[in-house]
Amino acid sequence: MTGRGATFKSTLTWWPAGLLLVLVICAVFAYWLAPFDPDRQNLLGRLKPPGFEARGKVFLLGSDELGRDVLSRLIYGARVSLLVAALSVLLSGFVGVTVGMAAGYLRGWIETILMRLVDIFLSIPAILLAIITVAVLGPGFINVVLVLALTRWPRYARVAYGQTLAIAGRPFVTLARSMGASPLRVLALHILPNIVGPLLVVATLEFGLMVLFEAGLSFLGLGVQPPTASWGSMLSTGRNYIATAWWIAMFPGFALFLLVLSANLIGDRFGDRIGDGR
Amino acid sequence: MTHILKRLLTAVAVVALASPAFARDITVDLAGEPSSLDPHLQWNPDSYYVYRNIFDNLVTRDNDGKIAPQIATSWNQISDTQLELTIREGVTFHDGSPLTPEDVVYSVKRITNPDFGSPQLGQFNQITDAKIVDGSKVMLTTAGPYPALMAQLVKLSIVPKKIVEKLGKDAFNAAPVGSGPYAFNKWSRGVSVTLNRNDAYWGAAGPFENAIFRAVPDAATRVADLLAGTADLVVSIDSDAGIQLKGNAKVKLLSAPTERVGYVGLNLDKPPFNDPDLRKAASLAIDRLGITEGLLQAGEVPMAQMASPAHFGYSPDIPAFEYDPAKAKELTAAKSELASTPATLATAPVFDQRIVQAVQQMLNDVGFNVSISMTDMPTYLNIVRSEPAENSELSFGRWSCACQDADGITYPTLHSKSRWSRVNVPEIDALLEKARVSLDVKTRQNAYTKVHQMVRENHYLLPMYQAAVLYGSSSDLEFMPTANESMFLNRMSISE
Amino acid sequence: MLRFLLNRGGQALIAAFGVVTLVFFIQRLSGDPTALLLPETATQADIDAMRVTLGLDRPLIVQYWAFLSDLLRFDLGRSFVQNADVWDIVSSRIPKTLQLAFGALVVALLIGLPMGLIMAITRGKHVSKFIMWIVLACQSMPTFWSGIMMILVFGVWLRWLPSSGTGTFAHLIMPSIALGLLSLATYARITRAAVLDELGKDYVRSARARGVRTGRLVRHHLLRNSMIPIISITALELSQLLAGAVIVETVFAWPGLGLLTVQSIAARDFVVVQTIVLMGAFVTIFANLAADILYSVVDPRVRLAGQS
Repeated sequence: MTGRGATFKSTLTWWPAGLLLVLVICAVFAYWLAPFDPDRQNLLGRLKPPGFEARGKVFLLGSDELGRDVLSRLIYGARVSLLVAALSVLLSGFVGVTVGMAAGYLRGWIETILMRLVDIFLSIPAILLAIITVAVLGPGFINVVLVLALTRWPRYARVAYGQTLAIAGRPFVTLARSMGASPLRVLALHILPNIVGPLLVVATLEFGLMVLFEAGLSFLGLGVQPPTASWGSMLSTGRNYIATAWWIAMFPGFALFLLVLSANLIGDRFGDRIGDGR
Repeated sequence: MTHILKRLLTAVAVVALASPAFARDITVDLAGEPSSLDPHLQWNPDSYYVYRNIFDNLVTRDNDGKIAPQIATSWNQISDTQLELTIREGVTFHDGSPLTPEDVVYSVKRITNPDFGSPQLGQFNQITDAKIVDGSKVMLTTAGPYPALMAQLVKLSIVPKKIVEKLGKDAFNAAPVGSGPYAFNKWSRGVSVTLNRNDAYWGAAGPFENAIFRAVPDAATRVADLLAGTADLVVSIDSDAGIQLKGNAKVKLLSAPTERVGYVGLNLDKPPFNDPDLRKAASLAIDRLGITEGLLQAGEVPMAQMASPAHFGYSPDIPAFEYDPAKAKELTAAKSELASTPATLATAPVFDQRIVQAVQQMLNDVGFNVSISMTDMPTYLNIVRSEPAENSELSFGRWSCACQDADGITYPTLHSKSRWSRVNVPEIDALLEKARVSLDVKTRQNAYTKVHQMVRENHYLLPMYQAAVLYGSSSDLEFMPTANESMFLNRMSISE
Repeated sequence: MLRFLLNRGGQALIAAFGVVTLVFFIQRLSGDPTALLLPETATQADIDAMRVTLGLDRPLIVQYWAFLSDLLRFDLGRSFVQNADVWDIVSSRIPKTLQLAFGALVVALLIGLPMGLIMAITRGKHVSKFIMWIVLACQSMPTFWSGIMMILVFGVWLRWLPSSGTGTFAHLIMPSIALGLLSLATYARITRAAVLDELGKDYVRSARARGVRTGRLVRHHLLRNSMIPIISITALELSQLLAGAVIVETVFAWPGLGLLTVQSIAARDFVVVQTIVLMGAFVTIFANLAADILYSVVDPRVRLAGQS
């Protein structure tokens, strides 16, 4: 491979991670980076194009349907979108992996009950769970995370289950068992390290999906509460303005696209490296 | 040879161009499909937009909002509780059978029968009896004096007794037969309802050969359909979507003020709005003119009472609310701890979120601590109709009774017996009850004026504005939107 | 094997029953359809009367019992909102849902398969990475966004396709693409992995050594042998597509089950929701069962539950 090719390849590998880092920085330092208060409305300065100037303030990416600064909302929105995705991946991953590993290792009636529970959750429409969660618990940021975790944990459970089944029969596991290691110890020290690769691939791909799902919930009116900015909520209101004020949807749309794309690329590369084609 | 070809082409072109003129159809994009086409069974706009073209009502409202004859050609209040209606002769149902006073009586009895379970029962259950007098007249008897009777009869559709009895509830709902300007043709579940013009209609049937009502849930898609020319008329769009239509010569935006009043409900049993000064501060903080002219921009008018000029019982003497955020700040500063009590503003996705967010910001700007709680419609309804202790501190609502009478809006929102109301003031209750049963126009008007004054002085709730309804239509369609949001195809026309 | 099938089939039935029971109760906790059925002016008495008419005044357990005994007689009930037999409402949507799911599947296969194949053959080259980018990019846009963009470009601006609705083949194109793009990456990945797997096998190596050209190799051997994993994933993907079309159906006004589900939940039309969930539960659970069986066939290391 030529030197030029190698550089190209490494750029391809590293830019998604670099981009993710930039977005995380945006999210963490939103308060200092955003030029204005993201929720500050100005009914006289609605739907102004990028570069619009009012009272000495410059709206670099224009203003939205309530005269709020799109750039500031974009920066603060990174916070919500990333946090919702990260937390829901962690929560659903934790629950799913625990259930899947327990079912795959313990077998017997526990396996039957847990895996049928997985089936049950897989077959309830996500939208139904979302609406009911909001109806019972009330709307809000935490509940969006809960909704996503509630609907996605079965994916991890199925992967963890299949992988655990495949590993549990291997000699080193049988050996550890026969030496009297507790199930918890076997699972944590012998099985988990061997199945964590495929699970991380699932998690990175799910991360991208969670960003999209949050957007979908916003579209259906079940997302984070207004006026809180998330890319999903900006995009779902902004899509009504494509023909008249393209900037409201275009910027969050592009940001969301880049975020999901980089999550997918990282997951894909990762999957390649550990040799899991799926 | 070329000559003949040319002629042929011209002929084809003429036919192709001319045919829409005499066989013009209309396609209407609604937000949802009608849930029922039996006019006595369902009550939602998507249903009545369609079935009111299939059925005639007892009376109707003209485009100016005045009650006008339809199946009843004239009416006469015989006593406080008796109304005599003369039934139009020569009206036939779509199957050719004549519409008789017997059908009118049957329709009244059907919808008022509690066992039938009509959702509209509450609008008609003051009618205790209907019978035929003198062969061609129908006498309605009400439980007591009922001034809103005529306003309710605008919504009473006449169904054919024989057909309904023969087909039964389900079959009639699936293939309704009425006497209106359009006859039912086909209902593709989830997709569309197709109507054909009834050329035997007793009045003007309108210019369209066929009418197709489609269900298009996404507002952005409805606008796209209009722009693409696949729809001629679309409903439920907001003024910002309307901006898209303005630059295009093929489409236009239609709007009219309605009988819908937007308001902010206050929980009078909970802090912070159990305090009259803070209620006043909330009212002073809201820039109603800013919202109607800066944000909504579709002909909405700020209101300081729970009624609009489209209602009987509207009082032109009620002065507009002041907008004075400085004064509001003074009031909240005096009770800053109480004012900063966390308050939620309940809302649902169907309401315009721009207004809700603007109101939230205006209240927080003067020292309140308001957060928005958006839930789906049933949850929202549960919240706003629950007991004060479980209720939210604030709620946004847009009220219409489809009756254009102040009774239909003030009674539910202000009377202590209503679940919607968080107001418990005996004097208001007494005034509302008096106005509800009096047939004297002046007594009623005075009672409502007094109620409006009390609400305005004490800020029991905060009326905001008279809402406008918006339609997008192709530019050659002549359609005049009305205050009761009706959509009669036979009142539309094609220009040129 | 038969014992296994009976055992797992029985479990699947119990799981389906569990789903329906869960949905029966939780949706009733989330509100009530009466408030939406009645005009705004309805009094408490009107609401109570409507609850009696709909049978919602009875204790939950009585309602549940009635539901179960009706279910045993294959009577699914009547829609509260649409005043019609629920089966008539739901069954009219099934063909539309299948059309869309198959349309999306065709899109995903037609684009995903060749892309996966090219990626495998050009492995390590820039072409391969470039295609991977495109595939992943297709999956990185919310459908409510890509959907309205397609409508504006192809429906409004170019006027090549109808902007929304259903009826002709042309109506099916845009929703199928919008939905298919989501599954495309899955197919591309699986095809790539399967073909790479085949490429490593001896017969391919020897054929290559004999000088057989790549195109011929692909046509005669690779595709056919890579089909098994692709077919097995299709069963799962199809059940996903059936359920995952809520937003596509909303944007394109496509009258499928997804849209009906959302609208019925929004109206708390319990009976319709129950019926759709019941159907969905059977499809999903049996698809998973099928996948489990396939899994054990493909990978004999996995002992099947219920086999000792």
